[in-house]
Amino acid sequence: MGKKKRERLEVIRDVLKAIQTKKNIKPTRLLYASNLSPQMFKDYINELVEKKFMQIDIDKKEKKTFSLTKKGYDFLQEYKTIENFVENFGL
Amino acid sequence: MEIYSTILQNKEMIKILYGILISLICTVIVFKSHRLFNLSLHNGIRYFRNAFFFYGLAFFTRYILVHFLNDSNLPVILFEFFIISAGFFLIHSLIWKRTYPIERKYLSSLLSPITLIFYAIALTLVVLDLTWKFYLSMFASQILIFFLASIISYKNYLRRPSKPFPKFYLLAMILSLLAWILNAMAASIFSWNSGVIIDVYILNITVFLLFLFGVIKLTK
Repeated sequence: MGKKKRERLEVIRDVLKAIQTKKNIKPTRLLYASNLSPQMFKDYINELVEKKFMQIDIDKKEKKTFSLTKKGYDFLQEYKTIENFVENFGL
Repeated sequence: MEIYSTILQNKEMIKILYGILISLICTVIVFKSHRLFNLSLHNGIRYFRNAFFFYGLAFFTRYILVHFLNDSNLPVILFEFFIISAGFFLIHSLIWKRTYPIERKYLSSLLSPITLIFYAIALTLVVLDLTWKFYLSMFASQILIFFLASIISYKNYLRRPSKPFPKFYLLAMILSLLAWILNAMAASIFSWNSGVIIDVYILNITVFLLFLFGVIKLTK
């Protein structure tokens, strides 16, 4: 039997958790960690940056890295409550 | 039976209290879910809140604002518009993932293309009812919406039988469906019989209290 498809909320949690675990993570590493297709990854990253859950930084070697914003940390803190609310109301 | 006659003797007061109670419940639901929405920007929570915002406006207009306006038609028109839109938002909160690619570009859920379609349909139904001088469109649309919502929430319940609230949600949808059918019967068969209307009020209060209970419990 195949693995259950992740819900949007779970994907967002996984992406943000990967950034929290490895601070200033590079795009390729985050792509592997998030387990998404490159196109889906791009869509999610754009959305998460746009909604200010994470930010794009440039390191000393002029390479792009990602870090969490306060909103991203807060989201992870309250993830269980949000998930519970969404699942119970079928949203 | 005695309680019915006491209620009937204080009909106007009961209507105001009913309006205040439901408007207050809706306000609490919108405020209590604000923190979770703000943290997640989850579209389902967004439309769920929009639904209760519009329900609150509908009941406030119909049962409270009506006493401050001279024009007797306006509160009824606004009530119908708000309540139909609220129904659309509620069902959209359950199926938003299907329209998400279209809507994600729009920051305001009150002015996205999908919601503009809701408003246009709601306005058309209000105009039709005004022309026919009967609430046929409102009753038909709400019965259809809650029939669909009952099916969706039954599927949600089957998907998550161990979760506590899906069965309350299903119950709330079935009670809403019953309330709208009873309301339509009161208007068409029972000539707005007060006893039937009181039953509709009781059903509606139960539904809103069920939602309030769920929101308070899940946002602790």
